[in-house]
Amino acid sequence: MKRKSIALLLAAVLSLSLMGCGAKQEAAQPAAEETTEAATDEASAEEAPAAEASADSNTLTVWCWDPAFNIYAMEQAAEVYKEKNPDFVLNVVETPWADIQTKLTTAATSSDLSSLPDIMLLQDNAFQKNVISYPDAFTDISGSGIAFDQFGGAKLAYSTVDGKNYGVPFDNGAVISCVRTDVLEKAGYTVDDFTDITWSKYIEIGKDVLAKTGTPMLSMQAGETDLIMMMLQSAGGSLFDAEGNPTIVNNAVLAEVMGVYQELIKSGVLIEVNDWDQYIGTLTNSTVAGTINGCWILASIQTAADQSGKWAITNMPKLETVDGATNYSNNGGSSWVVTSNCKNVDLATDFLGSTFAGSVEFYEKILPSSGALATYLPAADSAVYGEPQAFFNDQTIYALITEFAGKVPSNNTGVYYYEARDAVATALTNVVNGADITSELQAAEDTVKFQMGQ
Amino acid sequence: MSRANKTTSQKLTLSKKQNISGWFFLMPATFLIAIMSFIPMFRALLLSFKTGVGNNLKWAGIFNYQRLGQDTVFIQALKNNFIYLLIQVPIMLLLALVLASMLNNKHLRFKGLFRTAIFLPCATSLVSYAIIFRSLFAVDGLVNLILIRLGFLEVGYNFLAHPNSARMVIILALIWRWTGYNMVFYLAGLQNIEYSVYEAAMIDGASPFKTFFKITVPLLKPTILLTAIMSTNGTLQLFDESVNLTNGGPANATITMSHYIYNLSFKYVPNFGYAAAMSYLILILVAVLAFVQMKVGDKRD
Repeated sequence: MKRKSIALLLAAVLSLSLMGCGAKQEAAQPAAEETTEAATDEASAEEAPAAEASADSNTLTVWCWDPAFNIYAMEQAAEVYKEKNPDFVLNVVETPWADIQTKLTTAATSSDLSSLPDIMLLQDNAFQKNVISYPDAFTDISGSGIAFDQFGGAKLAYSTVDGKNYGVPFDNGAVISCVRTDVLEKAGYTVDDFTDITWSKYIEIGKDVLAKTGTPMLSMQAGETDLIMMMLQSAGGSLFDAEGNPTIVNNAVLAEVMGVYQELIKSGVLIEVNDWDQYIGTLTNSTVAGTINGCWILASIQTAADQSGKWAITNMPKLETVDGATNYSNNGGSSWVVTSNCKNVDLATDFLGSTFAGSVEFYEKILPSSGALATYLPAADSAVYGEPQAFFNDQTIYALITEFAGKVPSNNTGVYYYEARDAVATALTNVVNGADITSELQAAEDTVKFQMGQ
Repeated sequence: MSRANKTTSQKLTLSKKQNISGWFFLMPATFLIAIMSFIPMFRALLLSFKTGVGNNLKWAGIFNYQRLGQDTVFIQALKNNFIYLLIQVPIMLLLALVLASMLNNKHLRFKGLFRTAIFLPCATSLVSYAIIFRSLFAVDGLVNLILIRLGFLEVGYNFLAHPNSARMVIILALIWRWTGYNMVFYLAGLQNIEYSVYEAAMIDGASPFKTFFKITVPLLKPTILLTAIMSTNGTLQLFDESVNLTNGGPANATITMSHYIYNLSFKYVPNFGYAAAMSYLILILVAVLAFVQMKVGDKRD
């Protein structure tokens, strides 16, 4: 009898603890994530704040993802800010972009925003989608005194919804055309032959380079529309009109872009690979003589130390038949947002306003080791940005890129950006395999329209 | 103990007592399954009758289910799932059966080694094996290298850029990953078949081929049914291979229903109602197919 009652007691304890599990787990997890941060920072360890927004008036919690890049920038910003506000404490919680998106979706759909941090980094391409889907999760910071006019218009447009500013622009995705000067030399060309040119000229030179050296100019990931989107934006084109309706079929810019891409493939100037690693491999293994991408690609190019001095950068080719075509575009980038879970909006906006949107000194500090290029226009005049870079044949690439960034036509990503992008990618794959452009674009538009319907 | 039994049995019979303690031990698990599984399933069912962006949902009746029929990407995904199901599952199960009956041979040496080796793929992570298959079948990957060296190809063939070869790679990957898993079920089933039956067949002069089809297959029917239902279920819910090996491409030729559901929920503007409706369609499909397989396969004498 005694044994039985002990067993009963144990079972009761077990079932109780199991029931309690669900509630406890949630509280325990953020605390565990915090340990690394807490260990580095004595002050925050004492307050033992969770990963979510900080309650005390001098602490901000931030989610971003890259230790070498945006986390580093955030930490440097905190150092700069601490000079004037010594009590300021910043908790950076390393959170991959996919996790930020999932956590945001989960928090917003469960209507419990308390798990969000004060500030987080959002991909520009997902910005409109998230602000429009979950308006309650973000804080309108238009009236906070941040000097938004100091940023490139195209960049700022990503984080502006209905004329209200929801984000502080961060890194630069200005498109650059990178070329291998040593390969071009063998074919009798220089980087100047690639500056301010059109796509037909690019293909013409590309064919010549291919014939003389056997090296194609470009490589791209098959089934990805990066290049298509860059070309589109270079002429101010978009997959959506101002009202947000898809304009894939009667889109002169897109039709020309698809034609150019088909031509690039057919002529052999562009080769397609299956995944990102193979794409980077074509650059570092000298399989191709150049690439066109957002300027963040520089970090990957510079991993091939043996190619130092053999690269040069210039602007991208432009489209010919459409109005408003330029040699400038944008691919990728991100912006800081203040969530509506932030208890201390004034501190958050003051912090962002006096670092990311107000300090040339800060951008000078982060550039050399992270390569984080500003979209903050005054930074371009700084001496650090004007320093020649040995890897790129002593070109002053940072000043050049910041100059490009200011000339990018703004485009409308639309809320349904990823839907349209995938639909166009499907069309593109079929077009490359020989399908008719018009009918494929029609199919893509039908798909997007369908997915927009509810 | 016997005295204690006597006193309590005046109030409750033994079976009643066992019932109560049985229910008592079942309670925590039942409670947890209800909270973690059944309530979310019911909520998902409700969700599938709503529509809207993100959190702004409104009731829409069977609208989401009607939409499914017009969704070209979904129909493509459904087709892909059935291609995998119809080609991969039979090949895999047959292969597993053959391997199992070979490894059941008492006179085979290093049996443990072979069994472990064939089962081992199951222990690899879904993501990492998918990525390894992707690099094996890259243009400059191992498979192309071998084919070029053997003189079958001039230049590397881009397996993942063509619809049929991309599907073939996924099917190959699935067979590699899951054959050993099913084989273990068959091996377990074979332990229940008296070995003397095989010895008798051998004495009667039955060929190994005949033994396999006349003894092994009929006696393993319940296990075959189980693996068939599990494989059908798994194939219809296929996700990792589509995402990591081919990313659904080229041009949605390899995308699966679960991959599309993921896109609808997390990549695109979230449309949870529609995604939930799609999930329920998969549930219905699995249920119907399992029912058909039970009716066809389980003819007990």
